[in-house]
Amino acid sequence: MPVPILKQGSILIASVQAALTDADLIELRDELVARVGRFRSSGVIVDVTVLDVMDSFAARTLRSIAQMTKLRGAETVVVGIQPDVAFAMVELGLMLEGISTALDLEEGLAFLSERTAEGANRVK
Amino acid sequence: MSSEMETATLVPIKSDVDIVAARQHGRALAAQIGFAGSDLTVIATAISELARNIVSYAGAGEILLSAARHGGKTGIVIIARDQGPGIPDISLAMQDGYSTGKSLGLGLPGARRLMDEFDIVSEVGSGTTITMKKWTR
Amino acid sequence: MYERTAGKGGAAFSQSPTPLTEVMDISNEEIARRKAWLQFTDKDITHVTSVTGFAERIQDEVIEQLYDHFMEFEEARAFFKDPKVLERVKAQQKQYFIRLTQGNYDQNYVEERLQIGAVHGRIGLDTKWYLGAYNFHLQAVARRLFKEFEGDTEKALEVLLSLLKLKFFDIGLALDTIFAQRENTIRQQQDAIRELSTPVLQVRDRLLILPIIGMIDTHRARQLTEQLLRAIRDTRAKVIVMDITGVPAVDSRVANHLIQTVEASRLMGASVIVTGLSSDVAQTLVTLGVDLSKLNTVVDLQGGLEEAERILGIKVTQAGQTVSHIGAE
Repeated sequence: MPVPILKQGSILIASVQAALTDADLIELRDELVARVGRFRSSGVIVDVTVLDVMDSFAARTLRSIAQMTKLRGAETVVVGIQPDVAFAMVELGLMLEGISTALDLEEGLAFLSERTAEGANRVK
Repeated sequence: MSSEMETATLVPIKSDVDIVAARQHGRALAAQIGFAGSDLTVIATAISELARNIVSYAGAGEILLSAARHGGKTGIVIIARDQGPGIPDISLAMQDGYSTGKSLGLGLPGARRLMDEFDIVSEVGSGTTITMKKWTR
Repeated sequence: MYERTAGKGGAAFSQSPTPLTEVMDISNEEIARRKAWLQFTDKDITHVTSVTGFAERIQDEVIEQLYDHFMEFEEARAFFKDPKVLERVKAQQKQYFIRLTQGNYDQNYVEERLQIGAVHGRIGLDTKWYLGAYNFHLQAVARRLFKEFEGDTEKALEVLLSLLKLKFFDIGLALDTIFAQRENTIRQQQDAIRELSTPVLQVRDRLLILPIIGMIDTHRARQLTEQLLRAIRDTRAKVIVMDITGVPAVDSRVANHLIQTVEASRLMGASVIVTGLSSDVAQTLVTLGVDLSKLNTVVDLQGGLEEAERILGIKVTQAGQTVSHIGAE
């Protein structure tokens, strides 16, 4: 499995290590969905710091990950998109609509904990 | 006098693994030519889209990467060729549908936005050849 | 790769060894095209080369007269203050005109002509001097030509007309060189201006201000976006206040560029507040079909900064002390 997935409490962290083929992306998606179900995770962080190119397939797969994990009750955050990649994505029209983004892993975790706190507050 | 430099790379495209190879070669050549920063990513992304189209719609094809010179500037030339089914309605395929979500998913209008020059020749039943160029600023 | 070191004439604009025919993209096809356009054929070459002896004979006298004419003008006198320089230039000029009738008007010929043009361009010679010199020379040669072919005015005319075509060819090359040099300078200056004109300022931790002044075209929008995205990474910015008060003409194209900048920033986890967009302009843009809902706009910079601080969770109490809350309130 080319992308290692860590479990940190109720959050799954997938850190992309190298350029991913289409097959790798599909495998990542399926793994994350399975583990969210197994561990009842509330959050998923996909760290793409190392990715030097984000094309339409990668963007579509990220969207799938977000949608499918949401069905199982988890929120997804994509972190680590690099300046050049963000630039190219926008030129290409890949906006990652509906997916939360954060600068890096630290920010991603902060974002998710805020959301969980909000959720907890609402329940009160 | 030829305005093409001799370094040219031919990347056969048969599977999604080749998509990564094509864009890595593209990035390397672009760096050699003198592109920097976001241009490298932009070029690699455009190549990725074209290579992906070949795999998805034609099954197999090739991408030819070379350098060129024009008016004092150097640039990269990317030719994506396949003998696939061809595109029946090119103008429809080139329509910018990303904002309305109605794009055919071919990534062509996006790739065109990324490059300086974009030319597409396609015949149903024969195949498709796309030529894109980007010049150093 | 086709490589050639600079000839005796000197280097190209950037002092590189690349031939000017390559830098200026004047290929063999282009040369043939220009000759065809001027109807310059082998027949013309025969006519012109047939008087090569005559040309050599009259050259010294013609050059003397040419420079006598030049020296009537103050600018030229100032230019040629040093007699050694004057002699050297006259010798080069003589060589230039003799070359005109020696045949072989191929890529090497073109390269030589371009190099000379480049030298002239570098020393700042104005186009009117060129044209004045060409004109004088042509007039002087024409008169002597008709005298030379005393009985045969038709032959003299043929030679003159062929010479004229070749002169136009030369003038075209000289002017192209000057234009290319000027374009090069302008491009370099534009790049320098672009780099200087959009500072990204860090006002607070995680907060950047991007004051944009001046027109925004595609190049500038691109450069601006790249600069901002790098700054977001380097300063870990969460909020950006992009002030466009100083952008004179915000049309739908500019608005779309700004929207792209905002969306790219969002991909890096940063939100952008756009200030300085007047409600009139905003209304116009909406009418033009621009989707401003993607933009978080506040009328002025002050308001934008307050909004930014609100987003960052910074509260300023009545007494003026700042209390920082990170996270939901």
